[in-house]
Amino acid sequence: MPWLALILVLLAFPAVAEPEAAAIVRAAIEHYRGKTSWMRLEMVIHRPDWERRLRLEAWTQGLDRSLVRVLAPRKDAGNATLLVGDAMWLYNPRVNRVIRIPASMMNQSWMGSDFSNNDIARSDDLIDQYDHRLLGEERVDGHRAWRIRSIPHEDAPVVWGFEDSLIRDDYVFLEHTYHDQAGSLVRRLTAREIGVLDGRPYAVRERMERLDKPGHWTEVHVLEARFDRPLPADLFTLANLRNPRP
Amino acid sequence: MSLLARMAWRNLWRNPRRSLLTLGAIAFGVTLLVFSVGLQIGSYEQMITNTVRLFTGLAQVQRPGYLDAPRLRLDIPAARDLRARLEAGLGEIAPGVVVAPRAQAFVLLSSERRSLGALLVGVDPQAEARLSSLPGTVHRGRYLRTGEEVVLGAALARNLGLAPGDEVTVLGSARDGSVAATVLTVAGVFESGARELDRSLAQMPLAAFQDLFAMPDRVHALVLGEAPLGALPELVRRTRALLPPDPPLAVLTWERIEPGVKQAIEMDFASGWLMYLILVLVITFSILNTFLMAVLERRREFGVLLALGFRHGRLLRLVLWEAALLTALGVLLGMALGAALVAYFAVHGLTFEGMEVYAEQFNLPPYLTPKLTPFVLLSGPAVVLAVTLLAALYPASRVRAVDPAETTREVG
Repeated sequence: MPWLALILVLLAFPAVAEPEAAAIVRAAIEHYRGKTSWMRLEMVIHRPDWERRLRLEAWTQGLDRSLVRVLAPRKDAGNATLLVGDAMWLYNPRVNRVIRIPASMMNQSWMGSDFSNNDIARSDDLIDQYDHRLLGEERVDGHRAWRIRSIPHEDAPVVWGFEDSLIRDDYVFLEHTYHDQAGSLVRRLTAREIGVLDGRPYAVRERMERLDKPGHWTEVHVLEARFDRPLPADLFTLANLRNPRP
Repeated sequence: MSLLARMAWRNLWRNPRRSLLTLGAIAFGVTLLVFSVGLQIGSYEQMITNTVRLFTGLAQVQRPGYLDAPRLRLDIPAARDLRARLEAGLGEIAPGVVVAPRAQAFVLLSSERRSLGALLVGVDPQAEARLSSLPGTVHRGRYLRTGEEVVLGAALARNLGLAPGDEVTVLGSARDGSVAATVLTVAGVFESGARELDRSLAQMPLAAFQDLFAMPDRVHALVLGEAPLGALPELVRRTRALLPPDPPLAVLTWERIEPGVKQAIEMDFASGWLMYLILVLVITFSILNTFLMAVLERRREFGVLLALGFRHGRLLRLVLWEAALLTALGVLLGMALGAALVAYFAVHGLTFEGMEVYAEQFNLPPYLTPKLTPFVLLSGPAVVLAVTLLAALYPASRVRAVDPAETTREVG
């Protein structure tokens, strides 16, 4: 009889754990983006033989609208990216044109960084297109932290085999790793500095590393942020992408 | 000439019809063999030349590792000087050699209708026109001249919905990591026949490319072409000696850049040999048959010879002499005919119906040219000679079974 009880417990466990893991991931993403957000960021793209710094301004609304503008260096200032749902457009001031990015290019690098277009676009995919499982609990800097494995659905348009996240009990992403179909670690996003932005605990400095390319990484440093303030209604439109409001 | 050889020679012409028939069979087989090997070798050379001429060139100077993992920053600095140095140095051993500079990047091309990824190559239009057959396949508009213009592969242009005169937006990443964006005018559309190129290749003038991607006087490849295929090893050796030590540069031959062509040739060569084996077997059996008939027909004659004091061994050698003379004569005749045939078509080209239309589309010569090399001339005939002599052993051995007393008594 104890055997039967054990089997029942084993069978019941995932059924209980899955919704909880999914809820943690959803809460962490919502915490990360807020209802709306505005940020000024610095992006450092590092290569073995050179390095490049970008100044960015970004707005998000909900989980599927974002706008990113390049402020500096001057050569690239004015370049902007608009994301609405699965669609992505680039605006380049030199040619004064809006270019729709085809689905086939979504895995390409964004602005030459180690983030892909998909990384910028698909924040809600982790909620919609993955199954989540709690792997365990850890203690980090006096906090509890959950390690969660997210496995994409069979039909999800994703190149990864699975992704693991380490999420703190205040819903700060500490680490997110990307694994290929064989399970090997390919990319890793790590929080390198945690601070407080507009009253919420936040990973203010994050680094994305490519494990197959040593010496290649991109760091994002949030300089300033505001969450949950109302944004202009026409912010996430092609017209605004092309002609930014002063 | 020994007595036996003289006898053998006379014997051959005692029945001229039989001998001439056998001679004809051998000569015909050898002619066919020489011609098909010549055609095969010639078509390989043409295949290589066509590939090399289309876009690849005979060899390319690149940074090591660029071919397998192209990166914009893996480039050749001071390209203008190096090109001039190579042209001068290589011109000594291969006059007319062309050194074409190329720079390339993966970009997003977009029209009003849609956006597509493509390989954009910056080229020197004049050098390309001499080295590559691709400019000749522009079937709408014209090839590049200078400035902010682009030529597109036919499938690429179709998918983007672009025609000459239209504008296309280029978006990529420059050497310094900044955004490379510009608008180019479509000068022309090419149809090379190579699907990969027609679907994903775009070319623009090198100077404008270097401006756009912030890489002045830098290229990704110096392409060598317009030299005989046979001069390649010497060309590669010379090029290596002319390259500066820093940064390290590699010289890659067409075989390394287009391994598919070499593999296709090797496969075809292997299957070709099977056909030749069958051809040689057919020739051998027809000769074997003629020899056997000849020996069996002459039992009485052999019986008389033996009765006159000829030994069996001598008789055997006599018959072998006959076979050897006949085969050698046939092979020589076949070689002469085959060589003449190859030489004629090597000059005039072999063409067949419909080939012109097909070839013109891909900017290729509308004929096949067989090639005469020592290998072509000697390999087939040597095999036929050896196999035929081996085959003659069996009928000749039947001579031993001849009993003079019995055969001379037979009624002829």
